[in-house]
Amino acid sequence: MITKETVPHPDMTVRIGTLVMPNPVGVASGTFGYGEEYGAMYNLDALGALYTKAVTPGYRAGNPAPRIVETPAGMLNSIGLANPGIDGFINEKLPALSTLRCPVIVNVAGSTEDDYLRVVERLQTEQGLAGYEINISCPNVAHGGLAFGTDPDQVERLTRRIKNAVGSGGRPVIVKLSPNVTDIAEMARAAEAGGADAVSCINTLVGMVIDIEKKRPVLARGTGGLSGPAIRPVGVAMVYKASRAVSIPVVGLGGITCAEDAIQYLLAGAAAVQVGTANFSRPETPLEVLDGIAAYMQREGLSKVSDFRTLLR
Amino acid sequence: MTRFDTTVTTVRQVAPGFIELGFTWPAHLQVPLPGQFFTVKTGGSKYDPVLRRPFAFSSFGSDSTAYSIIQMKGRGTAWLGGRRTGDPLDVMGPLGTAFSAPPASASPVLLAGGVGLGPMLYLMESLVRQAADGACAAPVLAAGFRTASLVPAIGLPAGTVICTDDGSAGFRGTVVDWLAGTATDAPPYLYACGPAPMLAAAAGLARATGARYEASLEQWMACGVGACAGCAVRLVSGDYIKACVDGPVYDGLLVDWESYR
Repeated sequence: MITKETVPHPDMTVRIGTLVMPNPVGVASGTFGYGEEYGAMYNLDALGALYTKAVTPGYRAGNPAPRIVETPAGMLNSIGLANPGIDGFINEKLPALSTLRCPVIVNVAGSTEDDYLRVVERLQTEQGLAGYEINISCPNVAHGGLAFGTDPDQVERLTRRIKNAVGSGGRPVIVKLSPNVTDIAEMARAAEAGGADAVSCINTLVGMVIDIEKKRPVLARGTGGLSGPAIRPVGVAMVYKASRAVSIPVVGLGGITCAEDAIQYLLAGAAAVQVGTANFSRPETPLEVLDGIAAYMQREGLSKVSDFRTLLR
Repeated sequence: MTRFDTTVTTVRQVAPGFIELGFTWPAHLQVPLPGQFFTVKTGGSKYDPVLRRPFAFSSFGSDSTAYSIIQMKGRGTAWLGGRRTGDPLDVMGPLGTAFSAPPASASPVLLAGGVGLGPMLYLMESLVRQAADGACAAPVLAAGFRTASLVPAIGLPAGTVICTDDGSAGFRGTVVDWLAGTATDAPPYLYACGPAPMLAAAAGLARATGARYEASLEQWMACGVGACAGCAVRLVSGDYIKACVDGPVYDGLLVDWESYR
């Protein structure tokens, strides 16, 4: 409900499928490892959700170096889904993650549909996880990844297979969409048709930086994924489009550096947000974003997070 | 590891294109160890530049001031060069691994190339103290530069061997050339920081002489704390390590220098 008066204690919770997040501010996959590093710097229980670095069936060493390069108000990364694999994740990372009170959402990736299924099915019997984010949009692997995210039929089929594996009433399945498509609304509708509980967008945009002295791309693999403040207007526009195409929640991300950035996403139609690249430059950003959102809600008379999307003129 | 807001105490040019930065180190934090590094948020905007810049410690003062020698190469370091005493500074640290103590039986030899001098100076501070206590032999520092004008105007430790590529000061050649032609009393224990070709050459020499070798690695990095896996360095085994948490100090004989740039 929106009142003209200030709201001293707005309801910060967000519902995604069966999951109730304590607040709308999560940390984006790939920018937060498995929580170990930043857990040493602040209490992760304050987060709305922790989206893990991608997990694939087997160990992946990742791409050759250089893997990152800075760009104007952003950066390119080409990590290549480096991760310990599903067994390594369960044995080495999950014990600590499962002690967190904040929802832990495992980002799932693979090269084939069966890869995704193997990860999800293996995790179904594990405790301490709140949901799955299906990474159909990684631009940095030779097979799979982005290929899944650009074909609506594949998006719908993969989503349906994963939802069948999870079962109705199970952990929520959030499909992470790529901005490297002509019409993100079509992909969001495909995910919804496949039974997704939510979509998150945007993943990184494909980019390249060339060293003009060496006359070759800076990144070893040539291209990488662009993130950071430079992509925020793209993300806001895509959340605006996607949230009007589907009735499931849209989780917005891309270049959020402060509360004002996050509020743009919420006004555009996002049900929740993720902070990504800003974790690198200022690790306490998610906490500051949350405080700023709460202050804005109090000031604007918003009693719950879903009121935001009704405000945009 | 923590992020804190502190104050610049000194910024001074020590050679053309090189500055020494000093800043107040919070008293409650662990004193950084030689080899460890810190990152700085540069620029006045939260939007740009996005990435923090990593730098090695070059000294630590008894007044709890940390120092670093910084080469001004891009927009982040240019911004740092424009700081003045009393300016605020956003720092994260101490980060990464430190150099280990040499065995008592070895002769510590420190090889520095260009801006790699900073961490070697800090290691010298520590090893000179350890040698005075009899914990190791007296350390020797060889510092290489392209030319004499780039030798920084700071108090180099007594006995520092200056090497220049053009022979305009000290030994003509690289620090590795110098070491190859120099006998040490005991098996050398090598520490090195500098450009990749120098670190690779030092690895070759260490391999040939059976010396232990700790190298300080440099790589573009985003988070500096091990979360992003951006600062990968390839090992001869084919695996990757993260320069920020597995390094920057790493066994130089295990690094795949062919892949390193």
